[in-house]
Amino acid sequence: MKTILAIAAAISTSALASATPGLPAPGFTLTDLSGKAVNLADYKGKTVVLEWHNFECPFVQKHYKSGNMQSLQKKYANDVVWLAVSSTAKTASDYIEPASISKQLSEFKAQPARYLLDEPGTVGRAYGAKTTPHMYIIDGTGKVVYNGAIDDRQSTNVADVKGAKNYVALALDEMKAGKPVSVAATTPYGCSVHYK
Amino acid sequence: MLRIFLLAFAVWCSGGAFAAPVVKTEHVEAELVAEKAATQAGKPVTVGLRLRMEPQWHTYWKNPGDSGLPTKIEWVLPEGWKAGAIQWPYPHPLPVGPLMNYGYEDEVVLLSELTPPAGVANGNVPVKARVEWLVCKDICIPEKGELDATLTLASADAPANARVEAAIARARNNLPVDASGWKFDSALNKTSLVVRLTPPEGVEVPAKVTFFPEREGIIEPAAPQKVSREGRAVRIEMKLADPPPAAVKSVAGVAVAGGNWPKTDAKAINVAADVGALPSASGAATGSVAGSAAAAGTLASLFFALVGGMILNLMPCVFPVLGIKVMGFVEHAHGEARAMRMQGIVFTAGVLVSFLALAAIMLSLRSAGAQLGWGFQLQSPWVVTLLAVLFFVLALNLSGVFEWGAFAQSLTSNVSAKGRYADAFISGVLASVVATPCTAPFMGAAIGATLTQDAASALVVFFALGLGMALPVLLLSFFPRWLRMLPKPGAWMETFKQVLAFPLYATVAWLAWVLGNLGGVDAIFALLAGLVLVAMGAWFYGRWAHAGGIWQPAIAVMLAIVGIVVAWPGAGSAGANEAAKVGETGWQPWSPEEVRRLTDAGRPVFVDFTAAWCVTCQVNKRVALHNTDVVKAFAARDVTTLKADWTRQDPRITKELASLGRNAVPVYAIYLPGGEAPRLLPEVLTPSLVLDEISRLPAKQPTAVTQR
Repeated sequence: MKTILAIAAAISTSALASATPGLPAPGFTLTDLSGKAVNLADYKGKTVVLEWHNFECPFVQKHYKSGNMQSLQKKYANDVVWLAVSSTAKTASDYIEPASISKQLSEFKAQPARYLLDEPGTVGRAYGAKTTPHMYIIDGTGKVVYNGAIDDRQSTNVADVKGAKNYVALALDEMKAGKPVSVAATTPYGCSVHYK
Repeated sequence: MLRIFLLAFAVWCSGGAFAAPVVKTEHVEAELVAEKAATQAGKPVTVGLRLRMEPQWHTYWKNPGDSGLPTKIEWVLPEGWKAGAIQWPYPHPLPVGPLMNYGYEDEVVLLSELTPPAGVANGNVPVKARVEWLVCKDICIPEKGELDATLTLASADAPANARVEAAIARARNNLPVDASGWKFDSALNKTSLVVRLTPPEGVEVPAKVTFFPEREGIIEPAAPQKVSREGRAVRIEMKLADPPPAAVKSVAGVAVAGGNWPKTDAKAINVAADVGALPSASGAATGSVAGSAAAAGTLASLFFALVGGMILNLMPCVFPVLGIKVMGFVEHAHGEARAMRMQGIVFTAGVLVSFLALAAIMLSLRSAGAQLGWGFQLQSPWVVTLLAVLFFVLALNLSGVFEWGAFAQSLTSNVSAKGRYADAFISGVLASVVATPCTAPFMGAAIGATLTQDAASALVVFFALGLGMALPVLLLSFFPRWLRMLPKPGAWMETFKQVLAFPLYATVAWLAWVLGNLGGVDAIFALLAGLVLVAMGAWFYGRWAHAGGIWQPAIAVMLAIVGIVVAWPGAGSAGANEAAKVGETGWQPWSPEEVRRLTDAGRPVFVDFTAAWCVTCQVNKRVALHNTDVVKAFAARDVTTLKADWTRQDPRITKELASLGRNAVPVYAIYLPGGEAPRLLPEVLTPSLVLDEISRLPAKQPTAVTQR
């Protein structure tokens, strides 16, 4: 009985699952900024990058002000489907209206293939997205191959982008070369995702 | 008025040891505070970075948890000065929805030690700190500031003002301390990280403990920590980060208690441990498979439980029952194969049911707070009495005084099927009951590991134990071909059966002795008198019960009941010869204080954890411990031998066993001077093994040592 209670408590307070490298990625259907439904299964056979996102977050700003994230989106545009996701709850003070997101995306010249709205947080919880940014890579067979930080410099300092080891670029390059992903999991850093 | 106040403030500031421009951001006020108004060259001075946050805003600990960023300080100091690392006060858990951060709300003072070079001239010295912090509520704002302070070097120290002193003292109070004498272990399971904190002897663990690992990404900070007692120790189980972190070789962090840690005035202590196997004992078992059993985690405990269960069949206290069972096989060997298989299965069921029942009883007693160990049944005089009566009746049956046949027939009309199964089930139960006091090697660690764990895993291990014990009989019932190795039934069987009665009589004799240890000579006499009456009942039943009347069996049962009543241990007889327990020469009674006194005096101590009802213990004592060479070797190395007698419940011994990771006897431990972890010997001893252990002890010290 005690055990059951403990398990129940564990589930209710840390209702985060995880997308574990080597295992199939949790499936989902979300709407993008234009209101179109996007299903992960639509991209079967393609590499998918998921980027948990919130422009209010200084860690996200670091990678957009430096142009780092945009250049990755552009560089791998032909090889991967880049999906930015927002799981921020409407009630959170860092919630941004979709219209405002669109505006800021164009201001920053950001080019994710789609920007997905996960306001209920279901997908974020299924993936265990903790921070913005929190990055995932899913291969053509639908398996998670990377889960973690964007790079190895845990800071909000734009100057740190240069010289950082970018785990996402590393993994995508290895996949392109037909090699296994050498770093499949890291600890993400950033602002907390404020779930509903 | 205000002007006067401001003027006074300005004077006070300039007169102080530092001129600290306070950096004020939207949500934080930051300043540097020095521990002393004046300090001396060459002597370190503590300087604090004081961050005061707006209500509900927080900054982070060195491990920020699921998100966030630790505060950074970069010191800009005159030449020759050195700056130490940030001394972090213990963190607070800051939950954010399903996530968890570690940090500080309201105010935090991060202390650093600055050391001026020796011989530098006195005077005012400007120091500067470039500080970056991330302050968050719902949103996060990275902020930074350059803070100045002026430190004064003088020929004598001068105290800082009261406000600063109070702030520094508060910060010092919140620093984790090194608790002396504590031992830390850590182990990694598939999905969890376990940290175990073992206090020094005589120190209690606090009721509420939370662990904060200093490395990010090892655990899921938001998952609740499972805190449980494990003997004297406290065990903290945390959910491993998901996905799991790469190579975790060691764990360091801070354990925060609800109040102060005992014998300290701090709420938090530093914890560091190499990740390995959680040793079942406070030291590795020397040459014992038991130690490695605990090491290899749950799966290994299961395996060892299975093997341990099989070995139980060979123990002197199970063998007689096994004999009865094998007899049954011979009888039925030429019968139906299916029926025999069924019997094997029913026997197994009997064993499993009793092992699980035993586990359930132990678990419920444990949750009721009783401190118990394996074999505890034999610490109760009435259990011993009942067992003695039971074995005596069985022995009489084997001797041919009476036959079950008529008795069983009167109970069930279908002996050929049901009766046999009932018999198989009962012998399974019987085998389990008598097996319990015999802890074969392997078993101690497996059980020790599980009894302190949750109910489910304890039950699983008990299940494996039972399965292991039933396995040989089960296999024989499924592969009757192996039975061909057994001789054909015939007249010899009656003889063999009668021979088998003697191990059972011997068991009764042993139980009488156990009872004598519990209740003295009077208890033995009561038991023997009762047994005489029981024997009369059995004889009466065997002689006349087949006549068919109703009163003959009734008289037999009456006699047996009177016998049991006579044998029933009286309340007054318990504890009659407690003092007479330590009889052997050279063996002193054990107490934890005695062990500490002797080891403090620089003498090694050998402790025999034993009990009268433990057959293995008696064999070891005769074969190894009382061996003349061993006795001489003990004397030669100045080893004090202590006997911890667990024949009757002794919570101190139970506690000591638990701290060694065991809950059954025999346990043989060597305590060394200098607080080293005690060395454990295997559970089955040979003289050469003990001699080998003794020879590894440091040679006797000469009484006077001159040190150069």
